[in-house]
Amino acid sequence: MKETTLQDYKERMLRVLIHIQQRLDDDLPLEELARIAFFSPFHFHRVFRGMIGESVKSHVRRLRLERAAMRLKSSAVSITTIAFDARYEAPEAFTRAFRAMYGESPSEYRSGRNPLSRKPTPSGVHFQEKGSLKNFNPLNSGVETMEVTIKKLEPMRVAFMRHVGPYSECGPTWDRFVPKLGKLGLLGPDTMFLGICYDDPEITPPDKIRYDVCVTVDEDFKPEDDLGVQVIPAGEYAMTTHIGPFEKLGVTWAKLMGEWLPRSGRELRQAPCLEIYLTDPENTDPEDLITDIYAPLTER
Amino acid sequence: MADQEKTDLFRKHKDEYASPKKPVRVFVKKATYLAIDGEGGPGGEIFQAKIGALYAMAYTIKMTRKFGGKRDYVVCKLETQWWHDDGGSDLGDVSKDEWRWKMLIRTPGFVRPAEVAGAAAVLIEKGKGAEVENVKLETLSEGECVQMLHVGPYENEGESVAVMKIFAEKEGLVFHGRHHDIYISDPRRVPPERLKTILRHPVKKKAKS
Repeated sequence: MKETTLQDYKERMLRVLIHIQQRLDDDLPLEELARIAFFSPFHFHRVFRGMIGESVKSHVRRLRLERAAMRLKSSAVSITTIAFDARYEAPEAFTRAFRAMYGESPSEYRSGRNPLSRKPTPSGVHFQEKGSLKNFNPLNSGVETMEVTIKKLEPMRVAFMRHVGPYSECGPTWDRFVPKLGKLGLLGPDTMFLGICYDDPEITPPDKIRYDVCVTVDEDFKPEDDLGVQVIPAGEYAMTTHIGPFEKLGVTWAKLMGEWLPRSGRELRQAPCLEIYLTDPENTDPEDLITDIYAPLTER
Repeated sequence: MADQEKTDLFRKHKDEYASPKKPVRVFVKKATYLAIDGEGGPGGEIFQAKIGALYAMAYTIKMTRKFGGKRDYVVCKLETQWWHDDGGSDLGDVSKDEWRWKMLIRTPGFVRPAEVAGAAAVLIEKGKGAEVENVKLETLSEGECVQMLHVGPYENEGESVAVMKIFAEKEGLVFHGRHHDIYISDPRRVPPERLKTILRHPVKKKAKS
């Protein structure tokens, strides 16, 4: 049962990988890639990173460099043309990127006697002429031990403030938000502290990331000043607990979306991800911070 | 900026929160806490309401200060004194119904009683439960204590307490007063076998026989 599901996710992801390899000269927008495999465009990048072990962007970039390396060895095409085909505007930028990956410049690589070399990758995916990719290894870092609960959330009414910018800089928004609610007597015994994550820092430019800092409020609370109100709709979520610093949340997200999900028989719903913060970062060591993360699922 | 002035009592009084795996002697100076009293074993509706009220008060007081630009501080970890009225401090001797406790959150001395009353009023006005009125500022002077870190379920604390008692004995001391837990871990997600709790018990010199 579970194997079939993983197989299904694998086949769908393989279609995306082949599509990428066949169209390395194109722009390859995320929406298009997601559509090919019937993934929700909203979460596709997280699933991709979780299954393949790198972001879509760095995957495409790596394959373009691998293709360039192959052409350096097997053709007489000029380095400038190869650089341009790898979608670098200047040969210098290409040389820098190439050196970072292969440890030598394109011309050294071309004239050298070293055979075509490739850095191993966890997914085992490398550039194949004409996109003749047959298989890949979906990441598995021991996801069997990951404790995931399917939770049905009731609609949650929350007061919120929006933070736009890198996640690492959301602190001041929390610092403005919580004291305001505290003064209003809204931090009661059952108050929950949540974050609504609309964007993935791997694909959204840092200054455009949207994140709502939220606390649960009852019907009596009306929006005021810069405090908004929204209702997080009811729905099913896959929930797991991240224990550790906030900076490492991305690792747990990738594991949930890219490793657990393909083995779960479930599909992601087009809705934002949630984080619920159970510990106070002021009085808790980063290693002991507890965060429940929620990935929205479609109903069965 | 504000961060540098933020008072963190747990850090400031690190020596009082010593948490070695083996018992040690510590001296705990007079300290102020937000406190709420109760009785019976842990868990249950009243217990939850009281613990919730204590946290709600701690954060409402802190955040109201912060909003007003007053001196900021870190809300400390939850602590609890456990005892029973039968004289002895050994909770194992009596049924849980006879347990009495005082939940505490250490709070800077600069927090005024008026702020506590104000926080209770605003929470009650918002319908956040009547228990908040039972949260008061209190001071404890525990003085000479024996202390150690207990790792594992709360039910097994007795084993560590026994170790502490033997240590006290060797030091020519005896337990007196109330057993005191300082909860380092969050039991909502941390598995029981990994829960960390600092155990503290006040001691006095053994009477010469």
